[in-house]
Amino acid sequence: MGLLSDPSLTPRGKFGRTLAKHSGKISLFFYIAGLAWFVCLSHPEFSHGTYLSENALSPGLVDPEIGQDSLRLAQSLYEELQRERTEHKSTTPHAWIAAKMHQIGLETHVHNFTLRYPFSAGKEYHGKNVYGILRAPRVSSTEGVVYAAPYRAVNSVHVDITASVPILLAFADFARKKNYWAKDLVFLVTEQEQLGMHAWLEAYHEGGIRDSPILRCGNLPARAGALQAALNLEVQDLDIDYIDVKIEGLNGQLPNLDMFNLVQRLTSRSSLSSGYKHSPRKKRRSHRGSLEDNLRHMLEMLKIQATGVPNGNHGLFHRYRIESLTLEAVKRTTNTNNNNRYGSGLSLLKTIEGISRSLNNLLERFHQSYFFYILVQNDRFVSIGDYMPCLIALASPMFIKAFLLWLTTTATTDETVSEDDSVPSHDEEKPPIQLPYISVVLFMVSALLLGFLCNTLPFSQHVRDYFTSMGVSTEMSVGLILGVQVLLGTLLPLFYTLPEHGLELLHIGVLIFMGVTLIVTGLLNFALGFILAVIISPLTILLNNEHSKGFRQNLTRLYTFLLNPIVIIYLLILWLTLFEFPELSFAELGMRALKASLDAITFGLMDSIIYGNWLYTAIAAIYFPLWILLWTLSLGRQNLITQLEKKTN
Amino acid sequence: MDKSLLLLVALGGVTRYYLQNFHWIGERVEVSTPINSFKRVQEGVYLYENGIDPYLGDVVHELPVILVLLVRIFNSISNFVPLLYVLIDLMTATLLYKMAQQFVRSKLTEQKFESSEYAVGTEELQVQATDMNVVPRCVILAYLFNPLSLLSCAGLTSTVFSNFLIALTLYFLVKRHLLPCIVCLALETMRNLYPIVLIAPVILVFTQRSKNTFTSSISILALFASACFAITGFNYALINSWSFLDATLGFIFFYRDLQPNIGLFWYFFTEMFEHFRTMFLITFQMNATVLYLVPLSLKLRKEPLLLATVLIALMSIFRSYPSVGDVSFYLALLPLWRRCWKFMAHNFVVFCFFVVTLSMMPALWQLWIYSGSANANFYFGTTLAFSTGQIFLVTDLLFAHVKRDFCLRNGLKVYVDGKEAKIILE
Repeated sequence: MGLLSDPSLTPRGKFGRTLAKHSGKISLFFYIAGLAWFVCLSHPEFSHGTYLSENALSPGLVDPEIGQDSLRLAQSLYEELQRERTEHKSTTPHAWIAAKMHQIGLETHVHNFTLRYPFSAGKEYHGKNVYGILRAPRVSSTEGVVYAAPYRAVNSVHVDITASVPILLAFADFARKKNYWAKDLVFLVTEQEQLGMHAWLEAYHEGGIRDSPILRCGNLPARAGALQAALNLEVQDLDIDYIDVKIEGLNGQLPNLDMFNLVQRLTSRSSLSSGYKHSPRKKRRSHRGSLEDNLRHMLEMLKIQATGVPNGNHGLFHRYRIESLTLEAVKRTTNTNNNNRYGSGLSLLKTIEGISRSLNNLLERFHQSYFFYILVQNDRFVSIGDYMPCLIALASPMFIKAFLLWLTTTATTDETVSEDDSVPSHDEEKPPIQLPYISVVLFMVSALLLGFLCNTLPFSQHVRDYFTSMGVSTEMSVGLILGVQVLLGTLLPLFYTLPEHGLELLHIGVLIFMGVTLIVTGLLNFALGFILAVIISPLTILLNNEHSKGFRQNLTRLYTFLLNPIVIIYLLILWLTLFEFPELSFAELGMRALKASLDAITFGLMDSIIYGNWLYTAIAAIYFPLWILLWTLSLGRQNLITQLEKKTN
Repeated sequence: MDKSLLLLVALGGVTRYYLQNFHWIGERVEVSTPINSFKRVQEGVYLYENGIDPYLGDVVHELPVILVLLVRIFNSISNFVPLLYVLIDLMTATLLYKMAQQFVRSKLTEQKFESSEYAVGTEELQVQATDMNVVPRCVILAYLFNPLSLLSCAGLTSTVFSNFLIALTLYFLVKRHLLPCIVCLALETMRNLYPIVLIAPVILVFTQRSKNTFTSSISILALFASACFAITGFNYALINSWSFLDATLGFIFFYRDLQPNIGLFWYFFTEMFEHFRTMFLITFQMNATVLYLVPLSLKLRKEPLLLATVLIALMSIFRSYPSVGDVSFYLALLPLWRRCWKFMAHNFVVFCFFVVTLSMMPALWQLWIYSGSANANFYFGTTLAFSTGQIFLVTDLLFAHVKRDFCLRNGLKVYVDGKEAKIILE
């Protein structure tokens, strides 16, 4: 009961005030603890071995039936497709794919979609997906599983993955002859990378009812019930070195761990070596990986998750609660095992068969295993309970410091006088401090309004049309809109001088705001939250309410300036360009990076408009206002100091 | 009301009207519950217009009087319905302002009589002349620009009407107009059941000056009961069926809709075994109504308005379908107790609780419902934390009041043997 009914009449702030003096050290401690915890996670003791929770999957029961004939079919289809590709340099051989599907006996349909590019006066792009449905003989079409293969045209800049289509068709041919399917199988060949997949999924689930004016997907002529799972194939060649499983989806979502484990289990059973993040592991569970390796894997995973851009077509399924992942079969480059050239192709087919039959056993949606995890190795993971503490450790000093600041600012002045002799004595007669709540709240609201503008102006059709009619290119117009906003944000603290004690109160408000946004972002997308926490948290340590020394103040200002979203993007891209084109002169590099960063921002915007990626929204609507407030804090010292000087003079 | 205040009200109105463009607000479970959502009102209006008894289904839970009134409004000025919600909300704010003014005025006069009992050096705790201006301003600001009340109005919830009716009740209470006060309270009770507890402060206020407290309280109770019956009868006359009773009061009491909200009922009743339902239903409803009523009424019999504040707060925490609109209403009443704030030790913690839990709710809802990666426990965790924060606030307010009362009479610092004394509850 003591918690609710503190018996003392005057609030006891002594302890708090002593702590407040060391708030910087406390924050530093938590920061280091959070990072150390994260590094510890890469130690084998902190990660668990993967296992299957969903018994219905029963991967061990599958006895592979797919044989050499299927592989031979795949080979002949592959050769046929290669011949087709000589005639279709930049398009997909839809007719050939549809004919093959029809020949196999699938219910084949073509899906058309149109993208009206939201910028530059609406250029239109057309695309076609081909899909065939194998109706389950055992039930009416209530549930379905998707097997997808993206098709890349000859002139595509990405890695050639032509072999995925023959593998898909060969498996379809095998599946057609079986009668045990309890879920419809959908074989889908998409084009235009993720756009095709997105359009197909949108058409499947929305049916053209909520077509956006930007991506018109229309309706599908046939469906296969509620989709339970999806497997995306990116096969580089029929001769495979190892399989890399890609899981990171839209906005950092992940498939259920059971799905991942299933794939791992089956690849190892069919004697394919399975890698992780492009480092093949020849032996399963032979060793637990070195610390650096594990850490590198974790960071790589977080890096992909943080951008929110899926690293394969599977990522778009997550939006509709469909568990999915991509099997990336990497081509063999060394010619060590020439006699058994296509043996690994058969193993891949066996794996696909195993996965499909396990998924066929599913009784309900995937729900048993983890949805939040970080993979350390292809068979080890860190669960949410283990990794969340590092984010908590990074975000909690903000609340602690806010509380301590609150204690010191609301404490009556006469006590601070007794502790600090340098304060002029006329403070003693002052009544308790009146904190300027309203002006601080107004300031925060105006910063948020700027963020809101950043988030609405580039999305508005009128603004875009206006800029196109002025003849300004897309990247420039987006850059212009955001540049003006950022300039306004940077200048905001100069227009708006906060009243006395306003900065202290703003500091408290900013700390709470920062903590809350980091926690919420971390819940939605741990990677993004964690990375932001790592770069923002040092400010909690640096920002100090007391009269700080010149160096520290300048450091704070510099660091805050570097944290500006646009500056961060520019510096990141400059860094990347430096590695990409080391031969360029510095001025050229700068220009190229500038152009690239404008492109990057436009891409972020496009991702947000077309796919529903949150990264742009989160940065523009929340982190940009947060930056304005932090900038005010790091600058605002000066206003107060000049005020003090005026007073003393 | 002076010019700046009118400007504030106008600004509040414009903000509300602008926010109404965001239709998703009305679809959030935190804002709309089965009894206050606008969609259900629309459905009720449609059913009524087509001559179907709206209460036979499980959708409409609005009182026939209000429904018929809304049908009229929908027919005549259908385009201005959102504006109507804004106007009513602004009227609520103005009523609260007037109520606060009257309250401070009466406190000041009351203090004049008692000032001889006060200890020296407690001016800080006494109501001062400046409060005449500051407190009502704080109240109206807290109602106009509280994000929660903005959301509630932008979502076009019927909580706007509830808040208006309760504000009217409180206004008439401090103005000491018995009949309108009772009628408003009865109407709100018939709509939402829980405001029945507010009869306690009403009785306390109106029996303060009477000689025979017992008979006058009985007569007030009788008046209240007859007002309730009259409203019921009137409703019956409107639609010629008793079905509305079960659809409004019955629906609230029996908790038929398990849709998640910011309260504590939904998770518990989803998880519970069916054969315990009756028992826990009664327990939960007692907790929301009578459990705290008697002890608080005894303790706070001299401060009926504090009793009303605390009861409204407890009601919004423990009711079966709470929404953020209810929370915003009692938060707006807190500035009335400005002189107790000195002793509120947890205000910062409670504030953090509110901010963190309210921002986590949409995130966890997204993870649970759309991504399918989290589950109901995550969301319930935040609603539980939110309720806990509110309880902290209410207890803190009560303790602050007790401490203020003590210090007012014994001085701010009590020394025993040269050491600062502590009050221990025993």
